[in-house]
Amino acid sequence: MTTLPVRPPLARSSDRIIAGVCSGLALHLGWPVKTVRWGMVLASFAGGAGLVFYAWLWIMVPTADEAARRNARRPASPIAPAVSRPPAATAADDGSPMGAAGPDPSGTGAPPAAPWFRVQGMRYGKEILLGCGLLLVAAIMIAQLLGVDVSLGTLIPAAAVLGGASIAWMQLDETRRAGLLDKTKADQAGGWGRLAAGLALVVAGVLVMVSGSGSWEQTWLALLASVAVLGGVVLVLLPWALKFWRDLEAERAGRIRETERAEIAAHLHDSVLQTLALIQRRAGSEHDVVRLARAQERELRGWLFQDHGRESGQLSDRIKAAAAEVEDLLGNAVEVVTVGDAAMTEAHEALVQASREAMLNASRHGGGTVSVYLEASDAQAEIFIKDRGPGFELGNVPSDRLGVRESIIGRMKRHGGSAVILSTDGGTEVRLRLPAADNAEGKP
Amino acid sequence: MSTIQGTGGPAARPAKSVRVVIVDDHAIFRSGLKADLDAGIHVVGEAATVEQAIAVIAEQRPDVVLLDVHLPGGLGGGGREVIAGSAALLSATRFLALSVSDAAEDVVAVIRAGARGYVTKTISGAEITDAVFRVAGGDAVFSPRLAGFVLDAFGTAPADIADDELDKLSARELEVMRLIARGYSYKEVAKELFISIKTVETHVSAVLRKLQLSSRHELTKWAAERRLL
Repeated sequence: MTTLPVRPPLARSSDRIIAGVCSGLALHLGWPVKTVRWGMVLASFAGGAGLVFYAWLWIMVPTADEAARRNARRPASPIAPAVSRPPAATAADDGSPMGAAGPDPSGTGAPPAAPWFRVQGMRYGKEILLGCGLLLVAAIMIAQLLGVDVSLGTLIPAAAVLGGASIAWMQLDETRRAGLLDKTKADQAGGWGRLAAGLALVVAGVLVMVSGSGSWEQTWLALLASVAVLGGVVLVLLPWALKFWRDLEAERAGRIRETERAEIAAHLHDSVLQTLALIQRRAGSEHDVVRLARAQERELRGWLFQDHGRESGQLSDRIKAAAAEVEDLLGNAVEVVTVGDAAMTEAHEALVQASREAMLNASRHGGGTVSVYLEASDAQAEIFIKDRGPGFELGNVPSDRLGVRESIIGRMKRHGGSAVILSTDGGTEVRLRLPAADNAEGKP
Repeated sequence: MSTIQGTGGPAARPAKSVRVVIVDDHAIFRSGLKADLDAGIHVVGEAATVEQAIAVIAEQRPDVVLLDVHLPGGLGGGGREVIAGSAALLSATRFLALSVSDAAEDVVAVIRAGARGYVTKTISGAEITDAVFRVAGGDAVFSPRLAGFVLDAFGTAPADIADDELDKLSARELEVMRLIARGYSYKEVAKELFISIKTVETHVSAVLRKLQLSSRHELTKWAAERRLL
């Protein structure tokens, strides 16, 4: 065991020959995949130690997806496995050509269980399975030709048991993944079918093996006895199993709740508590307190009501962002009301910039709440920015002041829109209008 | 939100004082609101839950109820449930919805239950006083945001000719709603459109009626879809 500073967690890799145990182990230990695989095969000869070790790891070690989900803070989402797969899993790719096309270890007489498992997650699973079966048959025939006594009476039941077991075990693996991928019920029905088939195969194989080549009567009796025993055992163990299952479910639900609670707590701590602390320290300055409270309200509102289904970056989002920026900068509230929405274009960008300039002016000179109203349709986008300040005369604005003339009126004109500024002693309103692109083509 | 009336001047105040019940589950907010309200407004009762609210309203029969949209108790219906539970008094008692939520779903639900207006809780004391007088006088109180909801829900295309169908706003009503959404006070709207304040109030009340009575299921669906506004 070398001591690496950061060791990737032990997880079954998606780059797999059988169940991804070897490549996962290789990744974890930092050894070449090939070495681990051959090591495992060789160890199998030592009284089947490799096999047992492999099976044990297969059962105990989660897949990379599961591990990722376990480590993730959020409850699993349908896209989680695709997004949160650790980079380590992809790093194993260099081993995959060998893994996919490499020589079949079982062809050389190694783990006997291997060929049946190979279907797992492979593109040509069926063909490979068939090929392995044929290879095995050929190997047996050769062995018989060479004089090794292989009795079909033991071989067939053994094969049946192995096949049935492998089908059932593959099912276990499958359901693990199904939990992540939210498979449909149709798939689950298929899974049950497979489980039943595997079970039947195993039971039949074991029966034939145990009862030897006994008569049907004997076999029948044995079957009856074994089913009775199994039934009794199930009857005794069922309550425990059910309790275990329920505990597991309850614990899982509890863990999800705990994660959510922790996330909310973390968010509140980062935002609201910090702001409250700041407000207490600045209690003397009304301006600061209002500004902090507004900013925090905006942030919390955005977090609580965010609509994940809606695409962001629309015109209304940009206007709201600009309003928030002005609010933070100058401290006066900017109330935004939007009706309709539009996707951003280059001209809309200019509209947002002009609105921002108008909001800045309104907030700076109006000195109170600024009202912003956006109405966007397919034909045009209109924005009204209103303040209640003393108002000003456009003609009185010195020509070197670029704010109104250039940033608002000029900018809108250049992009095919228009800007009107109305100022009375009751306040100022800036009206920006931008026709949709195809409507604006007729402009000079 | 802070521009229900703005500098537009207070609504015509009734000679007698207005009796008000405040329904909100936060004691701090209730006491703050009480302190903010004008001397002409008498707070005759307070309630923190749906059950308390229905009981207090039935006992006091106030002119106006300041009603939080989100309330504990009852069947979980909040302010809507309080209005429904006080349906018998609706002709004499008027409800003004208060909310921090801003979610279209909540606002539309409480308006359709029978509230005469909707304002957000960040509103100033002078503005809420004004809104209370306005509601007491039988008018509707629309914040810019509520006007925005109405425009979004009913669409910005005017109804054909002067039909009185409930699913669309007339051209004039649209104009009024747009100006309110732009932050205009009723007085400013009247000046802008060359009509009297009374006419503006009539238009707003007509819009409120449509909002409450329109049978189009799209309205509810629309509100449910737009969670954030």
